[in-house]
Amino acid sequence: MKWVTWENVAVDRMACAWLIRRSIDPKAEFLFITPGAQTLPKGAEPFDIPGARLSHRRGHCTFDTLLREYSLKDPILERLADIIDEADTVQEVAVEPIAPGLDIICRGLRLTSPDDQTALERGQLVYEALYAQLAAEPA
Amino acid sequence: MVTSRTRPPAAPQHNWLLLLYKVSPRPTAGRVYVWRKLKRLGAVLLHDAVWVLPDTPRTREHFQWLAAEIVEMGGEALVWESRLVPGASDDALVRQFVEPTEAAYRSLLKGLKQKEVDLAGLSQQYQQVKQRDYFQSGLRAQVREALISARGGAGE
Repeated sequence: MKWVTWENVAVDRMACAWLIRRSIDPKAEFLFITPGAQTLPKGAEPFDIPGARLSHRRGHCTFDTLLREYSLKDPILERLADIIDEADTVQEVAVEPIAPGLDIICRGLRLTSPDDQTALERGQLVYEALYAQLAAEPA
Repeated sequence: MVTSRTRPPAAPQHNWLLLLYKVSPRPTAGRVYVWRKLKRLGAVLLHDAVWVLPDTPRTREHFQWLAAEIVEMGGEALVWESRLVPGASDDALVRQFVEPTEAAYRSLLKGLKQKEVDLAGLSQQYQQVKQRDYFQSGLRAQVREALISARGGAGE
């Protein structure tokens, strides 16, 4: 299946792509459009685009929305959603020290990647690592 | 005496983002929610009319999402890219961002001089102020230094 999002991917969209491949659609193919583009590629599911079904909801990141929409029940993914929430959205309290670092690493990944596709691929490694470490830590 | 007829070079102008929005007065939770987010972002409310932030990739994303959230709660919102016309100065506007940030840094410096210092709390406040420090105040480095030397516990 095809999935589409705005170009210049960062923390939330890298996480979403990782999650989509991992738990929703292993054969997912990702397309990118310029922010605000009025037409979406045919047959592609938009994510992390304002107004889309799969985007921010009630102040939570799109990763969080994916967990709800696809009923993914995994405490480690929930934990990850909390971290991405804090990295990607405006929160009044900060309780996830990983969040600002994760945000910067993901922005940096995009800067050092030739295109969004490559940035998403590289982001997979970061989220794989983060998931593994969170799973290894006591809750 | 020779007076130069050429104008002084205009101060560099900044790119700004403007948010104009309307949410229904009731329930009040929605209004408060939006207002708190704007304060947290360090946005400035100009003439009780329009919310302003310097244009950066980050502020852009946050304003776009906030606008989407306002629409989600049944309100209306538009985010504008903007720049003053040539010749007009945005110094006063810049000051509206710089002053509260510097006041916050100063109060951190003051807090660090107290006898009983809550270092963890102050360093977290520092992180928050830093996020709103859009014009890179020179005080940032001072607070950072003060925090680091306090951490050392040398306490001369």
